[in-house]
Amino acid sequence: MSLQNVTLHVPPKDKLSGRLDVLMMVSGFLLALFVGMHMVFVGSVIISPKLMNALAWFFEELYLVQIGGPVILLVMVGHFILGARKMPFRQKEYVAFRAHSKMMHHTDTTLWLVQVATAIIILVMASIHIYTMLDTLPITAAKSAARIQHGNWMPFYIVLLAAAAIHIVIGLYRIGVKFAVVTRENRPKARKFMVYLLVAAAVISFLTHIRLSLLTI
Amino acid sequence: MSRRLHIEIFRYNPLDPDSVPHMQSFYVNEYDSMTLFIALNIIREEQDPSVQFDFCCRAGICGSCGMVINGRPGLACHTQTRDLPEHIVLHPLPVFKLIGDLSVDTGTWFRAVGKKIEAWVHSDDTAFDVRAEEARMENALAEQIFELDRCVECGCCIAACGTARMREDFLGAATINRVARFYIDPRDERSDDDYYDVIGNDQGVFGCMGLLGCEDVCPKKIPLQDQLGIMRRMLALNSVKGILPKGILDKMKHKGCCHEKH
Amino acid sequence: MQTIYTDLLCIGAGLAGERVAVEAAMAGFRVTCLSIVPPRRSHSSAAQGGMQAALGNAVMGQGDSPDVHFADTVKGSDWGCDQEVARIFADTAPIVMREMAHWGVPWNRVVAGTHTYYKGGKPFEAEEAAEKHGLIHARAFGGTAKWRTCYTADGTGRAVLNTLDTKCLQYGVEIHDRTQAEALIHDGERCMGAIVRCLKTGELKAYIAKATLIATGGYGRIYRATTNAVICDGGGQIIALDTGLVPMGNMEAVQFHPTGTVPTDILVTEGCRGDGGTLLDVNEYRFMPDYEPEKAELASRDVVSRRMIEHIRKGFGVQSPYGEHLWLDIRHLGVKHITTKLREVYDICTNFLGVDPIHQLIPVRPTHHYSMGGVRVDKNGHAYGLKGLFSAGESACWDMHGFNRLGGNSLAETVVAGTYIGKQVAQFLQGYDLDIKSAAIRDAHDKIAERIKNIATSAKGRENCYQLRNEMQDAMMEHVGIFRNEKDLKEGVDKLQALYERSMNIGLQASSKGFTPEMSMALRIPGMLKLALCTAYGALMRTESRGAHTREDYPERNDRDWLNRTLAYWKDGETLPVLKYEEASPYYELPPGDRGYGGGKIITAELPPEKLTVPSKGKDEPAAKPAKSAKKK
Ligand SMILES: Cc1cc2nc3c(=O)[nH]c(=O)nc-3n(C[C@H](O)[C@H](O)[C@H](O)COP(=O)(O)OP(=O)(O)OC[C@H]3O[C@@H](n4cnc5c(N)ncnc54)[C@H](O)[C@@H]3O)c2cc1C
Ligand code: HEM
Ligand code: HEM
Ligand code: SF4
Ligand code: F3S
Ligand code: FES
Repeated sequence: MSLQNVTLHVPPKDKLSGRLDVLMMVSGFLLALFVGMHMVFVGSVIISPKLMNALAWFFEELYLVQIGGPVILLVMVGHFILGARKMPFRQKEYVAFRAHSKMMHHTDTTLWLVQVATAIIILVMASIHIYTMLDTLPITAAKSAARIQHGNWMPFYIVLLAAAAIHIVIGLYRIGVKFAVVTRENRPKARKFMVYLLVAAAVISFLTHIRLSLLTI
Repeated sequence: MSRRLHIEIFRYNPLDPDSVPHMQSFYVNEYDSMTLFIALNIIREEQDPSVQFDFCCRAGICGSCGMVINGRPGLACHTQTRDLPEHIVLHPLPVFKLIGDLSVDTGTWFRAVGKKIEAWVHSDDTAFDVRAEEARMENALAEQIFELDRCVECGCCIAACGTARMREDFLGAATINRVARFYIDPRDERSDDDYYDVIGNDQGVFGCMGLLGCEDVCPKKIPLQDQLGIMRRMLALNSVKGILPKGILDKMKHKGCCHEKH
Repeated sequence: MQTIYTDLLCIGAGLAGERVAVEAAMAGFRVTCLSIVPPRRSHSSAAQGGMQAALGNAVMGQGDSPDVHFADTVKGSDWGCDQEVARIFADTAPIVMREMAHWGVPWNRVVAGTHTYYKGGKPFEAEEAAEKHGLIHARAFGGTAKWRTCYTADGTGRAVLNTLDTKCLQYGVEIHDRTQAEALIHDGERCMGAIVRCLKTGELKAYIAKATLIATGGYGRIYRATTNAVICDGGGQIIALDTGLVPMGNMEAVQFHPTGTVPTDILVTEGCRGDGGTLLDVNEYRFMPDYEPEKAELASRDVVSRRMIEHIRKGFGVQSPYGEHLWLDIRHLGVKHITTKLREVYDICTNFLGVDPIHQLIPVRPTHHYSMGGVRVDKNGHAYGLKGLFSAGESACWDMHGFNRLGGNSLAETVVAGTYIGKQVAQFLQGYDLDIKSAAIRDAHDKIAERIKNIATSAKGRENCYQLRNEMQDAMMEHVGIFRNEKDLKEGVDKLQALYERSMNIGLQASSKGFTPEMSMALRIPGMLKLALCTAYGALMRTESRGAHTREDYPERNDRDWLNRTLAYWKDGETLPVLKYEEASPYYELPPGDRGYGGGKIITAELPPEKLTVPSKGKDEPAAKPAKSAKKK
């Protein structure tokens, strides 16, 4: 608290900082959970397009998509606003951080810049993606395959997926660090685990894309 | 086979209007078990007596000689030249106010944050009774407290923290570790809420972004990562007290951590 | 010139300085501490082993009491100490340790049950009592009858200094770090503060104070091989000596520590031997029991250091490019002990020596370590010669150490003297009014300003201060070491005198605006040479062997002629100190006798009976005093 803002009122005991921090973690975690499930959902096409269609039907019948989609979008924007408090938007901050990460050659420090960059990519691309999806309901394996095969969506998805996967993996690791789940002792293990997670995401997605590309519409 | 070290030193004297920040090269013959303390003193005594740097104990226990050594903050007296390449680049620690060349003002900085977090055991000094036995304490707890009290305030963890470099008012890992030291000390009568008032904000624990530069450079291997995590969890849960059921909170708070007050 | 006013000016913010500061601040006075480095970097932070206080909680400390502690201290001093002071010290120490515990020092504690300890390299079992569980524990140190040294792992100095620093913060003690006192302001009778050089800008400032305390630690840097920090240059002693009024006590009493490491001279604590470490020679043979059957490695430091040199001279030293040394063996203490209770030692060995003490031997040799001598003060800490000037800690000759201080006694002295003298200072300040003489301030300032100008412009010559320092250190190493004799000392004094004269003509090699480190050294050197001369000349004149002062040509302790304390004064313009002597102790509660270790002959003194009785102490024994002050505020 500074002497400039203490003049008008007796400061209330406020817990806002802590709550925002919790919210940031929870929103990030929920988004991560969503994307994970979403990957599994889209990935179900690998097993059979019918399964994917069935799942999609199920979600839509229950209006999960229609409601959930905008909610996810909201959570994402909320998460972004929370995250933005930490992002180096001001030039001075950005320059300082860049200089710092260059000086240190320190993985965890550099990864934070990566997280910020991927966040912005996700914000833009996922918004477009969600809008497109909600615009063209219902979801079917056939429509998805068409988008991949004729709509030139593949490059878009590759970038989005890479950004999302990286952002999430770093994000989860950091939640672990921030709340003493990842400790000095298990940090090397946690890092390894995160790399596995990244690889798994890439593999599932790769197979999904292959399947969607080969699917006869 | 002994090497000739090329030591490049940041030079700037803020008190000299003609001085501009620049790098200056020195050359020193390396010998057995040479540390940067020895090398820098050779430079000062034989080549340029105006070079400013700080050493005190020259044994890695006082924390005077923090500087950026080839990009990483560390203690110079504690650094053997044989562990470094032939070309050594030295900068003063960022974040702290530069006094000149490699010398920065850590003292003022640490005292200021100390004041902010009221870095002393809050108890009743007048209650001390000369005739009474000392209050008992478990040896294991004493050891835990000392583990955190070993910090030498060298400033390396602050200089290695991206957050601290972006935001001037960030208290840094050493400071949060210091609060943790009082937090686990049963002699300190402050409550969780009191600690929240001190570091439960974006200058304190919630400002940390988990970059772990601090953890990786600390020359005393203070468990910074763990302390940051424990304090953050404690205060984050404290902030949602009353929102989540108490039972769940208590469970989470104590999970994997031995740091409750005894 | 900026002028700063305060009630108490503490020159030095190590343990002693901060402890006095806290005491005065708690009594409600304005206190300002000066320090070359931020307080927590003071050399007290390097002390590893611990502090002696007769708490008697540990099983091996059973039956301990201030009386035993007092006796150990007097024997350790080789009867050179002031016994009244040693008594105050031993009685007050336990209270002060408890107070430090109350304030937050994480002392290691007694853990009830059976433990394996080591003595002389051999394990034994002992059971810590259940009713002592959780009280302050203690380890063994040299020259003590009981395990008495309170400790926090091997970072005792760090832990206690951190705690005191927090108290300074709490009670609003002003800390001005990166400052260096260059001269005392005085009018020939009273001290009024100091002229201080700011080490950030190079400016001079005047600090005006009702009371001034010198707590600047030791002056080990007059030797080349020393365990002391690079800032232990005797700044405080120098400004006192410069007044010509304040004497230095027992400057020839210089302690060499048995286990300085080779080649870096960094200390590994006596706690290593206290915890059961042993000394080995070139054949990895444990030789100390042959010399000292009773105490072996744990005789007092002067004795162990001498025995080590003796053994090396007999040809049992280990050759190395850095000269001969011996080995310290702590391998048998095991991984856990070494990486917890001797962790700092472990770090030092691995980082600086490339030695893993769990599996390898540590190269050690006696290295300069401690200055028993310093600003001579009375039992209240008041300096001889100037009113309003106090001193405490290693910089002072309060004189509880005499000619050899016991390990663990100096760290304890800093806080015990700090508490005791702090109260005296607070009392002195109560109702004391200073009338400030601006002429005195101007005088003091002008003298320093002129010296600085002369050095900066090389007005008197271009002597290189680093070269002078090196020559001084070499002279001290060569001529004023562990074993001394007339011929060496004479040569040493001559060399130092010549250096002192040259030091009047120092000029800067590199000029620089603002602060320059070279100027700091240049300003120090003449004073350091004075201290070196007091040491060497005092040693030359003292024709006996006592404690750490060992004359090969006068091997016996001579109580008949030398049961006294050297007082060295420095008159302006001279190149040698004037030596005077005073009685070692006002009375001898423990009459001079055999120490029980170290051997050597004694020429006994006939002491009148009144000297052998303790004047009745009345009700206000020192032991009871700290209570009140702690309750003040
Ligand atoms: C390596 C080592 C280990 C030791 N281990 C032990 C041990 O285990 N047990 C034990 O009992 N003793 C031990 N000692 C001895 C003990 O640590 C010291 O005697 C004691 O700490 C001295 O404390 P002090 O407060 O008097 O001085 P210091 O702690 O040295 O403080 C001196 C202060 O004065 C300041 N200063 C100096 N000159 C000036 C000036 N001109 N102007 C302004 N400020 C100035 C400094 O900045 C510093 O703040 C050890 C000593 C060493 C070197
Ligand atoms: C589906 C999308 C997203 C998921 C799954 C996700 C997930 C996460 C997670 C798990 C974290 C770690 C949370 C924490 O440290 O408390 C995180 C952090 C972060 N996220 Fe996201 N995020 C997503 C989208 C975004 C978007 C769109 C932005 C902003 C443009 C963003 C910005 C950030 C930032 C800046 C952080 C780092 C905050 C910090 O380190 O303190 N994220 N994210
Ligand atoms: C509610 C919102 C969402 C719905 C309904 C949805 C639906 C879908 C569908 C049906 C596909 C299959 C491909 C296609 O049809 O074009 C897909 C693919 C994809 N979606 Fe989403 N999505 C949503 C939100 C998100 C979000 C928030 C992200 C990222 C942060 C995301 C990232 C991806 C990616 C990367 C793919 C490519 C498939 C892969 O590589 O596995 N989606 N999505
Ligand atoms: S925590 Fe470590 S790096 Fe930070 S100041 Fe303390 S010792 Fe230095
Ligand atoms: S580097 Fe900085 S952001 Fe946190 S984990 Fe360490 S304090
Ligand atoms: S000089 Fe003390 S830590 Fe380097």
